[in-house]
Amino acid sequence: MEMNPKLEKTLQEYEAGGMTRRSFLKTMTTLGVAAAVANAVALSPLGAVKAFAAINGPEERAWALAKVAAAKATKKSLTLLIPTGSIGNMTPYVDKWKNELGITLEFIEEPDEVVHTKGMQEAVAKTGRYDVMMPTAMSYPDWIDSGVIYDLTDWTEKHDPELFNKEYGVVFPASHHAQLYNGRVAGLLCDGDQITLLCRKDYLENPAKAKAFEDKFGRKLAVPDTWKEYRELAEFMHDPANGFYGSLEYRSPYYVKWMFMQRLVSKGVLYFDGEMNPTFNSDTGVQVLEEMLEMNQFLHPDAFSFTWSSNYNAFGRGEGFMNIVWPSGFKYSMAPSTGPATTGNIAATVMPADFTKDGSKLYAGMFCWGYGYAVSKYSANPELAYAYAQWMTSPTISADAIPYLGGYSDPYRVNHMLKPTKRLVDTYTLPYLDTLYHNIVNTVPDFCIPGGFEYQDALDKEVHACMTGSKDPKEALSQAAHKFERITRRIGKDKVKKAWIALTSNLAAPIKKAAGVDQWS
Amino acid sequence: MQDKKLTPVQTVIMAVSLVVVLFPVFWILMTAIKPPTDWNASPAIWIPSEPTFVNFQTLFDPEALGKYGVGGVSQPATKAVFGSLLATVVSTTLSVIIGLFSAIGISRYGNNSKSTPLIILSGRMFPPAAIAVPFVIIFSNIGLIDSYTGLIAIYVAVTLPFSTWMLKSFVDDLPREIEEAAMIDGRGKLAAHLTVTIPLIRGGLFATTMFIFILNWSEFMFALVLSYSNISTIPVQLAKYVTATAGTLYGVQAALAVLAMIPLVIVGYLIQGHLARGMTFGAIKQ
Repeated sequence: MEMNPKLEKTLQEYEAGGMTRRSFLKTMTTLGVAAAVANAVALSPLGAVKAFAAINGPEERAWALAKVAAAKATKKSLTLLIPTGSIGNMTPYVDKWKNELGITLEFIEEPDEVVHTKGMQEAVAKTGRYDVMMPTAMSYPDWIDSGVIYDLTDWTEKHDPELFNKEYGVVFPASHHAQLYNGRVAGLLCDGDQITLLCRKDYLENPAKAKAFEDKFGRKLAVPDTWKEYRELAEFMHDPANGFYGSLEYRSPYYVKWMFMQRLVSKGVLYFDGEMNPTFNSDTGVQVLEEMLEMNQFLHPDAFSFTWSSNYNAFGRGEGFMNIVWPSGFKYSMAPSTGPATTGNIAATVMPADFTKDGSKLYAGMFCWGYGYAVSKYSANPELAYAYAQWMTSPTISADAIPYLGGYSDPYRVNHMLKPTKRLVDTYTLPYLDTLYHNIVNTVPDFCIPGGFEYQDALDKEVHACMTGSKDPKEALSQAAHKFERITRRIGKDKVKKAWIALTSNLAAPIKKAAGVDQWS
Repeated sequence: MQDKKLTPVQTVIMAVSLVVVLFPVFWILMTAIKPPTDWNASPAIWIPSEPTFVNFQTLFDPEALGKYGVGGVSQPATKAVFGSLLATVVSTTLSVIIGLFSAIGISRYGNNSKSTPLIILSGRMFPPAAIAVPFVIIFSNIGLIDSYTGLIAIYVAVTLPFSTWMLKSFVDDLPREIEEAAMIDGRGKLAAHLTVTIPLIRGGLFATTMFIFILNWSEFMFALVLSYSNISTIPVQLAKYVTATAGTLYGVQAALAVLAMIPLVIVGYLIQGHLARGMTFGAIKQ
């Protein structure tokens, strides 16, 4: 897209050293370039012209495409299938699309657990009712295979959403495992759903507790670095007589699998080996379940029934020392209305590390859930739908959209965390954005392979059965593994294996090494 | 029959049973008038600290909860209430009318085959989840998906076996001789059934109507699967009260549940005199 000549001149002058940083920022602001963007450009090692092109490029290219597609569209609306509760990140732009493009944005909200099913239903119904669909990354394999959404690769090559730009792209490895299926782009990420660990800062800074902790453990009272330290801290802070518990870690159906998966990958074990044999039913997996069972004594009593919102509410009310949550949990804890006891009292950290079989320390997090935009094969205006997805997820618009309350979007691009706008900082704080960045670079995805929801469901049921005492760890994991083998057989081993190999080829190097991924065929 | 007083033990059992039965209703009513700060309070708040109608207001004005700092509700419940009323009233009426004439036909003019019950009730033997997707395919091909016509059609289809079977048992209980006497008096078959059979089984008719009404009013699966944006019902809307800033909106859900109870309470009150007799399902034979 053609750049404003004055803007281009300013960028070139600054780059040539003919302008101070202050003058540059002032001029950029006068030219209508938002202060945060101007600041990011000024700080970029890419150089001003390249940085401006990188940060603004995807947005401008998407808008140019949207203009062309809107002009020739016979249906002057875009319909979006979105999960209930996510609309807040999208409504601020409805007027712009209507006023400048003549395109009405219509949102069809469905409960989040239904979105995947609705997509599969559209694959057979072919109504064309949806243009853009907003699933989690785990839906892409089944949706692509069923032909309900486009492979976006050709569009991304043509219009370049800069998904992999080192400074403004989606952070690796989420850039790959939350957007690609078999190496092809299936959707554009709009939500950085990773889990991090929150601790109560006021308890960590309590001098009496600090002394007692140091006397007992011989180290400073601080956020935990390993799962062992996490367990020790939970026990130390656990005070059930006063309604205060060591941790609010989930043990409830649907959520408990993530707690297991998180701990498992921290020990250097993934869910399958390179031949699609389940690996979680190994001695390491049994050990993980035993550690979880042992941890149960320091958990909030509602841990077995928590949903994300009841968990956030309990933590915000001050009923526990630690919590394992999505970034939205941090936002909850920050807001006085939902976190009366935690506002200003949160110390966040990356997920604790564990040790692999060879004794080396491994940091691994979970990128679980995470919404993105996909384009329906039955859309009347697929290019316009794609343009919407690229525009909404561009570095500038996404940075603007994420801080709006009333939506699930959380930071996912490099610039969201390392070059944040003031609104992002106000919403998340600089230390937490930094934590998010250092956590996301070590994340492992959900089962983003064909039949992903089935695998997760099977694992979840068995882990939950173990946590509630109806099965012992070995029995639970054996039965989960048996279910996994049946799912793999039914879907087709070659098909799942291909997706699994592609998925795991883009994990953080330490995790790949620990799990032996490099040796898989 | 001689009045018999309850023993103290029976009184206690009755009281406990009443508490157990009415507790969910009490909890829903209280939650419906709780401000957001009380929804998830721990320990639980039984009686709202500051009773409010904001949850009811939110059903029709999504911005109403804003004064408590809760946003993200995007749709009023008006369409869902209208949709539930329309789909339930029309489908219940059709189901009962068709079921009534089917029942009379089978009872009076059928061949009394032993397989009749199986054939009638087989329509209800499939779990809704199993037949929902085929219906989606069929309905999208014939243009009935996301339409009230389609929803009503499927509601009639799935409740007709119940209405037919229930009403058949009432018609069976009615002595044929009464209808035959009317025919001897010069009435035709249809006239005899309209003027004799139907008035005499009205208790069963009311009970069946109530039963089918409840089934349709609370149906979730088909409404969820067959709806995109043109249609909505209360059970589907209930599942949508989740926001990113406040989680599940228990108060608003409870308010809609209270509204959903009202038609059932009214219909139940109006036909209560017929319910006891009707609900025996023809247990007392002639």
